[in-house]
Amino acid sequence: MTSTYSRLSRIALAGLAAAALGLAGCTPGSGDSVDPSSSADTSNGDAAPAGGSSSEDPADTQPPAQEINTDGASMGDVELILWDQEVREGQASQFTTLVEEFQAEYPNITINRVEQSFEDLATTLALALTDPNPPDIVQANNARNDMGAFVEAGQLLDLDPYSEAYGWGERFPETVLKNSRYSSDGKVFGEGTLYGLPQVGEVVGVFYNKTKLAELGLTVPDTWDEFVASLDTAKEKGETPLMLGDVEGWPAVHVFGPIQGAYVPPEEITLLGMGNPGADWTTPENIEAAKQLSDWVAGGYFNEGFLGGDYDAVVEEFANGTGVFLMAGSWVGAVIDEVMGDDAGFFAPPPATAGAPKATTGGTSLPFSVTSGSKNPDAAALFIDFITSDHAMEVLAETGNLPILRTAELAPTTGVWADVYAEFQDVSDNGYLLPYLDWATPTFGDEVLKPGLQDLMAGQKTVEKFCEDLQVDYATFTAGQ
Amino acid sequence: MISRFERTVNYAILLVFAALVLMPLASIVAGAIAAPSAGATGGIHLENFPAAWTQARFGRYMTNSFLVTGTVLAISVVVSTLAGFALGTMTFRGSGLLFYLFLLGIMVPAEAIVIPLFFDLRALGLTDTLLGVALPQIAQSTAFGTYWMRTYFRASNRSISEAARIDGAGTIRTLWSIQLPVARPALVTLVVLLFMWTWNEFLIPLIMSPTGKMRTVPLGLAFFQGQHTVDHTLMAAAAVMVALPVVVVYLFLQRHFIRGMLEGAVRE
Amino acid sequence: MRPSLPVNRRAAVGGWSEAGRRRSNRLYHPATPYLLVAPAFVVYGLFMLYPLGKAVHLSLFEWDGMSLGVFVGLRNYLAVATDGALRASFAHAGVLMFFYCVLPLAIGLVIAAVLNRAKVRGLGFFRTVFFLPQVIAMVVVATAWGGIYAFKGPLNTLLRAIGLEALASDWLGSYTLALPAIGMIGTWVEIGLVTVLMLSGMAKISPDLYESARLDGAGAIREFFAVTLPSVIGEIAVALTLTIVAALKTFDLVYMTTSGGPGTSTTVPSYQVYYQAFKVHEVGMAAAIGVTLTALIFLINVVVNRTADRMAA
Repeated sequence: MTSTYSRLSRIALAGLAAAALGLAGCTPGSGDSVDPSSSADTSNGDAAPAGGSSSEDPADTQPPAQEINTDGASMGDVELILWDQEVREGQASQFTTLVEEFQAEYPNITINRVEQSFEDLATTLALALTDPNPPDIVQANNARNDMGAFVEAGQLLDLDPYSEAYGWGERFPETVLKNSRYSSDGKVFGEGTLYGLPQVGEVVGVFYNKTKLAELGLTVPDTWDEFVASLDTAKEKGETPLMLGDVEGWPAVHVFGPIQGAYVPPEEITLLGMGNPGADWTTPENIEAAKQLSDWVAGGYFNEGFLGGDYDAVVEEFANGTGVFLMAGSWVGAVIDEVMGDDAGFFAPPPATAGAPKATTGGTSLPFSVTSGSKNPDAAALFIDFITSDHAMEVLAETGNLPILRTAELAPTTGVWADVYAEFQDVSDNGYLLPYLDWATPTFGDEVLKPGLQDLMAGQKTVEKFCEDLQVDYATFTAGQ
Repeated sequence: MISRFERTVNYAILLVFAALVLMPLASIVAGAIAAPSAGATGGIHLENFPAAWTQARFGRYMTNSFLVTGTVLAISVVVSTLAGFALGTMTFRGSGLLFYLFLLGIMVPAEAIVIPLFFDLRALGLTDTLLGVALPQIAQSTAFGTYWMRTYFRASNRSISEAARIDGAGTIRTLWSIQLPVARPALVTLVVLLFMWTWNEFLIPLIMSPTGKMRTVPLGLAFFQGQHTVDHTLMAAAAVMVALPVVVVYLFLQRHFIRGMLEGAVRE
Repeated sequence: MRPSLPVNRRAAVGGWSEAGRRRSNRLYHPATPYLLVAPAFVVYGLFMLYPLGKAVHLSLFEWDGMSLGVFVGLRNYLAVATDGALRASFAHAGVLMFFYCVLPLAIGLVIAAVLNRAKVRGLGFFRTVFFLPQVIAMVVVATAWGGIYAFKGPLNTLLRAIGLEALASDWLGSYTLALPAIGMIGTWVEIGLVTVLMLSGMAKISPDLYESARLDGAGAIREFFAVTLPSVIGEIAVALTLTIVAALKTFDLVYMTTSGGPGTSTTVPSYQVYYQAFKVHEVGMAAAIGVTLTALIFLINVVVNRTADRMAA
């Protein structure tokens, strides 16, 4: 008796073999397997004529530059789809306010937000941008795997013409703009065409609980060694020195970044972080930095369960009085300020010697970009102009954020925000704001750094192996440049 | 002889087992009606539901979910009933091959077909549309539905339709006015199963709605979770709302769910 | 989540056209059956068979989804078999199988056997409860269990309260525990299905069989192995295929709870399909993983059902 399954097997095998053989002649991307009428009309590059010739340059597939319109009222009825990650306390309120104000000023332009968390946005944005009708405005991480890849695929619009029309070059210092610049083939990061504008400044540092610091007889440290010594003191006196929730993988990057800033020369970190050749992850300084993190874990400095802990939940716990220090970015300031008020303080990671320039991860929030597929780039650019205007900076300051512009002028005089503003200014003006390490290569963040840091902290990898793995990815990428 | 002791043990097992099943669900329902933050007072807080509904933009996601589920059900139930009727009651060349082809589809996971489907449907401009999200699920549902209805028609009393045919009723009329009323239980089972699978589907709407326009409510919950990890009450309330439609249908038609899941697989 | 349902072998065997063979006179136009099957076959062919063939085709290329693909033969499959990260994801699915299939089956069999010996009232109610996890969206299940596993969540609180402080753990953040913790969610989901399946199988066993076993002096244990177990081989096969497929297709659960972490200790094939296709633009690789998954599901179906057939014969 022939069973159902052997019959099914035969049919399946025959079918699959036929599919494989019959179709092997036609190549994906050659356009013969898709509707030909739709393969040439998109400007976002996903259907760029393939053939390996120079026509692959995405810049060529963009429509010829049109006259730029900066008058919102004359744009007619327009709907803009906006993908953002402004969902935390502070971020959410500034953004809601600005969107409402924009709508009030330009009733003909409707903003439809799709808001997601940082990691959900990172997971889904690449897919969204491949659509023939992508969102109009997106918050794209500066990283090579994000903005770099999107630029390479021709999915983001060259903003230089708008920059000229709106005078963004005068509004923003070049140190800020360069983090959103790529060559039009996406290969060179840090110079070239402008693809986005950030709203908010960011500095990764140390939040601390003032009451606890006083109880422990400690003061804000002036040197890195002093900081490490205060962690020891906290541990000895039965406190949890450091709070971390790393289930998402990226939060530990913001612990390692400042440590690295204390050990490794800033020029080297910049090369490593931007994925440009000339540096090495296996230098004694980098190994020293990784060892410090691993020692902190071994010494029990972190809260119990930090590997499976949720980032925002742990920040909330810290705000509610657990732990002495929290190494995190300024973006959690609003949550901490709301719960702790004047009881919270912030300092940038102290340098090796007192008074030396400070070096830490930071810069700007995820820039807002316009997609090449947007039907209304003028309106999209107008919106970006609006949310980065002088007035917007005031809204940002009022709602518990660190505006990227007019920072000194808008600085609050009390509370944790006063510290954050001051430290941001100090590091920007006198020290080094270092790139986020996951910017480096397309695979660096997701495949090497984030799991690597978890491996390191869980003792699954040695310090040396951790650095070697990072070096392999970095070296492979830079060698191909 | 079954002793009183054995009977007691049985009840104990059943109760422990039921408690283990219900506890995680109870925890989420409890979370959904708990006080929103530490400062608030206890008691039942039903206001979490409208709050979560607005913040998670469930209005849009629920609409999408009902549209997608409705479309998948309407099309796949009709076409699989027709195909199942033919395969179950008629003899024709190629019927065997056709049947096995449909069987194959029951085993193919969405993971295998979504990648090519995504690129093809995008080329046709169908991603982010109702059809783009529904069509792959219609194909999956049709595979199962055809198998299910064929099995039913083969087992059903053939003399009814034969009598009808002798009376001169056409094929479609036979199906519509004589077979279908009798087939109602099988159809209801098919409908509830497809409803559940489509409502709960995650991967297909995630990929087929890249810009999020046609995201269904399970995706809404996933992305809401990313933003509101701190606010457990709102997340729990949102989770309850995602599960509720299927659970309500299940409570009323649970026999159909259980029978469908078991008999879709077993037929002695 | 839509389970890939196992197909009963008996239902399909032999009967595809006997109905008509017996009938000599034509009661319908010869084209009628084709017209009836056509709509179903068109949607099914276009959106299932065609993409499946296309997936096989794509899997032979290195393609970023945009530019021209490069034919690489079976290299993607070779990578699935040799690449550490990809192999690990299949290995993780293997571990999940233990929790989705073996554990529920072992427990479900025992519970069903015990319940089957002494019929109790209210079984219908319990059946409804046991089956409930099957109908709830995985994202909701993940939300519930994510809360339970939280370091300060109810599970650890409970363990501490009953003096098992040592067992309290960082469930989803531990290299050793995260995968089993996810697996236990699978056990929770599948155990009701398996138990209900076993109960329905055992209900069909003739009381005479038990009667004679008891006359032979068999105790409860021997009775289980001599009478109960052989009678539910078919149901076991069904339970295994259903749950193995569920284990292989875990996606939303991982997406919601650990995103593959800590490190890469909970990555699964389905997640790799998504990641390869849409994050690192290795579309051919993603297709190869999807096809491998299909082949595995198919193979397991065949093996489980063949074995069951042989044992039942």
